[in-house]
Formats: sequence, C-alpha cells, structure tokens
Amino acid sequence: MLSQQPTTLQNGPRPANTHVQLADDSDDEQALASTLVQALQSNDDDLDDEFLDEEVADPNLLAAQALSLQNTQDNLQARLQAAAQPLDFSAPLEVRFASYDNYCSLFHFILNSQGPVELELPTYYWAWDVIDEFIYQFNSFCIYRNRVARKGHSEEEIQSLRDNPQTWGCYSVLNVLYSLIQRSQMNDQLAAIKRGEDPAQYAGEYGSRPLYRMLGYFSIIGLLRVHCLLGDFTLALQTLDDIELSKKAVFARVMAAHFTTYYYVGFSYMMLRRYADAIKSFSHILIYVSRTKNFHKQNAQFDSITKKSDQMYALLAMCVALSPTRLDDTIHSTMREKYGDQFAKLQRGGPESLPVFEELFLAACPKFISPIPPDWDNSAANVEPSQHHLQVFMADVKNSIVLGPTIKSYLKLYTTVDLGKLAAFLDVDKEELRSQLLVFKQRSRQTRWVEGGLIEGENVNTSDVDFALKGDLIQVSEAKVGRKLVEWYLKNLIRTYQ
Amino acid sequence: MRPEYIANILAGLERYNPETTSIFQDYVQQQCESRTYDCYANLALLKLYQFNPHLTKDETITNILVKALTVFPAPDFSLCLHLLPPNILLPTTSAADTLAEAVQKLHTLSILLESGQYKEFWATLDSDDLYADLVADCVGFEELIRVRIAMATAQAAREVDRKVLEGWINMEGEDFEGFVREVCQWTIEDGDRVIIPVNNDNEAKTTVTRENVKFDQFSRLVKRAYEQPA
Repeated sequence: MLSQQPTTLQNGPRPANTHVQLADDSDDEQALASTLVQALQSNDDDLDDEFLDEEVADPNLLAAQALSLQNTQDNLQARLQAAAQPLDFSAPLEVRFASYDNYCSLFHFILNSQGPVELELPTYYWAWDVIDEFIYQFNSFCIYRNRVARKGHSEEEIQSLRDNPQTWGCYSVLNVLYSLIQRSQMNDQLAAIKRGEDPAQYAGEYGSRPLYRMLGYFSIIGLLRVHCLLGDFTLALQTLDDIELSKKAVFARVMAAHFTTYYYVGFSYMMLRRYADAIKSFSHILIYVSRTKNFHKQNAQFDSITKKSDQMYALLAMCVALSPTRLDDTIHSTMREKYGDQFAKLQRGGPESLPVFEELFLAACPKFISPIPPDWDNSAANVEPSQHHLQVFMADVKNSIVLGPTIKSYLKLYTTVDLGKLAAFLDVDKEELRSQLLVFKQRSRQTRWVEGGLIEGENVNTSDVDFALKGDLIQVSEAKVGRKLVEWYLKNLIRTYQ
Repeated sequence: MRPEYIANILAGLERYNPETTSIFQDYVQQQCESRTYDCYANLALLKLYQFNPHLTKDETITNILVKALTVFPAPDFSLCLHLLPPNILLPTTSAADTLAEAVQKLHTLSILLESGQYKEFWATLDSDDLYADLVADCVGFEELIRVRIAMATAQAAREVDRKVLEGWINMEGEDFEGFVREVCQWTIEDGDRVIIPVNNDNEAKTTVTRENVKFDQFSRLVKRAYEQPA
C-alpha cells in the first residue's frame, strides 16, 4: 500500500497535471504521514551525533546550561539561542537597536572569523529560526519606524531614529543573507543537486559544515521573503531558481520553512497575475497542512501556522474568483467554512465585490515595508506601503472582475449569440461589451509554469469558457472534462483479486 | 537580446551597487531608441532607486513606465509601480511633485489599455501636452501600442468591423489600410470588414479533455497479479 507515493505532494506544485487528482486516494494520507515521520526521524538520526538534540525552549534550562559550560563557547551558545528568540511585538526602541547590534556581531563572527567557526547548532531547526527571526525583526522595525513617522509619537524616539538611519537598513539585511549564501556556496551546491551530482564537492571549507550549510540554505528562503516585502515579486521568484520545490526539499523538513516558502511563492505569483500558479502553490501547502494537522498540534508554531493558513485561504479565494478553478474537495470545503460569504461575493463579481477584495487583501498580504527611512519632516508623505500595493493590485482586479463573471455566466448559456443582444442583457453599451470581451479574453490567458525556474512558463488558456468574435456574432465554446474511468476501473479490478 | 554586460550585472550582486545605476539608465535610453524592451533590467534599476532615492532620475522612471505600457496586457506596468515610492499614487498636493503627477497620468493610460478602452486611450493621449512629452523619448510609441491592440484584437476576433478597428488603433483611410495589410497582414473585404486569419486563440473550438492514463497507474494491479498463486 505504502509503495504508492503521493506523487503530487512529492513533486511540489510542479507537475503539469492538476492538483485535484490527490483528492480521492485514501492511501495518500498514510503514505504522507509515514514519509513525514521518516523525514523527521532521518533528520534526528543524521543530526543526533552532530547537534545537541534537545529543544531548549525553557530559558531557565538555557541559563543553567550556559553556566555549566565554560568560557567563550557557552557565551556563544547563549547568543545563538538568543538570536532565535522571538522579540516581543511591543519591544521598545532600545531593545530593537540592541537586538540589531547583536545580530550584526553574531553574523560578523560567523562570517568573518579566521576560517569557519566550529560551532554546534543548538537544534536542527535553529538555522531557520534565526533567519526567520532576523527578518521578522527587520520587518517589524521598518513598520514601527514608519508608524512613528506618521503618528509622531515622542520627539525622543523620532530623534533616535533620525540619528540611526543605518540600523536595520535593507542593505545590511540583504548583505547578511547574500553573504551567508556565498560563504556556504549554496547556489553551487543546489545547482549540483539539480544536476544529480554530489553537492559536497562544491561545498568548500564552509559549506560542508552544517552551521553554514543550513544558514546558507535558509537565507535563500529569507531572500524570497525580503524581496516580496519590498514589492519585487519577480526577483522573489527568481531567487528560488536553484531550489527544487518538492516535499523532499530541505526546507520541507522544517514545517515553518515549508509553509513560509509556499506562502511567499503563491503570493508572488498572484501579484504577477499568474493565478493558476498561485492556486497550485496555496493548494499544495494547504492540503499538506490539513493532512498532517495532528503532527503540528504538538508544535509550538501551531498558532502561527493556523493564522497563516487562514491568510492563504483568503488569498486562494481571491485567486479562484479571478481565475475560476476546480479545487481539491477538502480545500474547497474549508475555504467555504472560513470565507463562505466573502467568497460568494467575490465570485459574483461586480462593483460590490471590490470592498471584499480590499478587505481580504489587507488581511492576508505580507506586512509590506519601505526600504528607506521615512520623510521625517513631512508626515503626510509617509504612506503605509501595503496601501500602495493594494491600490496597484485593485487596479488589476477591477479590470477582470467588474463584468467578467457576469459575461462568463451568460456565455455559458449559448453556442452563438449576437453582441447587441448580450449587451442588452447586461445593460451596457455594445462597444463597451466588445472591449470587455477583449479583456475577458486576455484575462483567460495566463503564463503557467511548466518546467525550469519558477518565473518561467507558457501562455495557456485557463478558462473553461472561450469565445470568438465574427463581426457582431459571438461564438462560444466550452472545454469539457471527459468522464474519468481509470480510477473506478482499477479499484474494481483490485477488488476482484481479493 | 540582453547584452552580456547587463546579464552579468543582473546575475550577481552588482545589481545592488549604486554605481551601476548609470549603466542601467543608459540601457533604458537605448531601449527607448531601438524599440527593444528588457523588463528585468528595468526592474533592477527601479530597485536601485528604491534603495537609493537620491539617485532617482524622474525621466528614466517615466521612460521605464512608458516602455512597460508598450507590452500590455503583460503585468509589467504594475510590477514597476510596486517598486515606486508608496506615496506615488496619492493625489498630489504640491505643484512641485512632477514625478507623482507624471506617474499618475501614465497609470491612467495603463488602466485604459488594460480595460480595452482603446478609443479613450487615444483621446486621453491627445488631451494633454504632458503626455506628448512623456512618450517623446520612446521611439515608435504609437506604433508599438497599435501592434499590441492589433494582437489583442486578433486574439479574440476573426472578423471585425472596419469602423471599430479604426477607432481602436486610431487610424483612418490609407494609413489604416496600410497598417492592416502591411503590418498585420490581414485583409479587408468589401471595404468595411477586416478579416483576421485563424490562430490558436480566435477559433473557439469546443474541446473535451480526456484522462491521460499512465502505465504506472497499473503497477499495483500487475504486482497483485504476480503475487496471486497460480
């Protein structure tokens, strides 16, 4: 039974066939669960010898441990632990500055010591935690700074922010991430894996050590995130060129990393108007989460996973409204549970749907940032970056959604229809409808990933309803899905053997 | 084709180096003159501006946006907007903010193109001298847009009324006939019907997707058949 692997999940969002096929194979869940356990176990096996395997969540334990060890080494271990500790959301400015300095000195030590640093990683997911926390703090610092500039809190805060324009600057953050990638020669290693060669021969002095290898690897995911936060969605996707998106990928071993990757990949696709690819990314990870729910319940990150899931369901609802697609049954019903009313409005389209798009976008988008310090002297000029991205996104949405869904529902009723007649039904001007039909056509053609880097793709028709204009005559065609017999046939054949 | 020196900058960390700004700027100028277009390079330049606002050259930004208009309905124009300062689309308060005003004007054009309102697009373009200034650097702007509109038309239609198409591409008489015959390679019948050859998109064929059966799907069955005692 288990020999049959859940192919779609194995290959990530890549296979050209639809994700829907996953739905009815009951073996999948078992197989998936077992691979997950294997992944975790093999991880532990690999790492037990090299790493301390305990999860040091308890600060007391940590302090005790730090005391029991000696001189610089334990000092360092404590700093490593601290680097992965979440910063309180309401932390005051001094703490944020101090935390930045800590990261700088830690990364400086790791990157610029003479030769590679001999270090034991506190836990195997430490590298992810530290990159994750580093970017989170950068992100929240930029938001904080922007808010101070707009709301004008205390003069003191403004002054100290003015005096330290370099703190948490985007150049230093990118510098850290790129340096970690280069030090570990991660891109060469990943390219080797893609070619089917042994990455070790490209790893070099640094990259062969777990500390550098893991930091380098997760820095790539970190870059994806930073580019996305800055509104550069093409570069975000190009960053992952060397990473094979699959369940076997290294990031899949750390649930939070797996999850984050797909969220940002899906979001970037959505902003590139590649809704079919976005839907595939979101569905992939949401199916994965729903099937492995029981494992994550014990996970400390369960809350944040739940929150991010909700956001992805919201994004998924928008993408499906913009590019109607049949979803996996489980995902579809969960989406209806969470966003039933909103989804119905989105699907209906028209001007009434626009506020719903805005609401869901703001609830589910990343916390966008502006890379530069705000204009301290003119607080009106400091706009929240998410408002800007929303405005650009909504201009795209308006085009497809105002008449699109209605036109489609009418087209479905006919094989041929006169332009004037349809215009009368829709209560719009004939020429306006002609224009709208052209837009409808353009929007039904999307770039969709087939192979190669994530940004690559082919132009395909993603709509099940298509049409052609001959003068004023609209000819309508439909893409039908034939009956699927093989599954049924196989199931019954197997049954005869039993 | 992207020149090698640009490709090298894009592939490495040089793309973040403020000193490459001028190289990218020249490259934008070159694109404007030679009717070529390189989205990734232009986005890289906008990113440099995003990080180093003091290096910003308004004219280059508007040229990039104008070039992005010429590839509609690709999302390039929106992608560029995402990299501009967040307050760029706010209603301008001071007359000094010429960049914001220019960007918003171009945004209006982009929205008209994206929503298929081609007649309104041409009318708007003519309505203000500022537009003429903005697109002046981009050689062949009008023709590039016309070709894109023709492509959008060919995607959806096999036959279109001459009057309609004249409005969409903003041409009449002999000029119109020349464009339709020479550039598009379409024919005009009875003087008022433009006939567009069949392509992949304007045919509207009903298709039935059949399931694709792979041998692998039968592997369990075959295995089972072996295991069965004879």
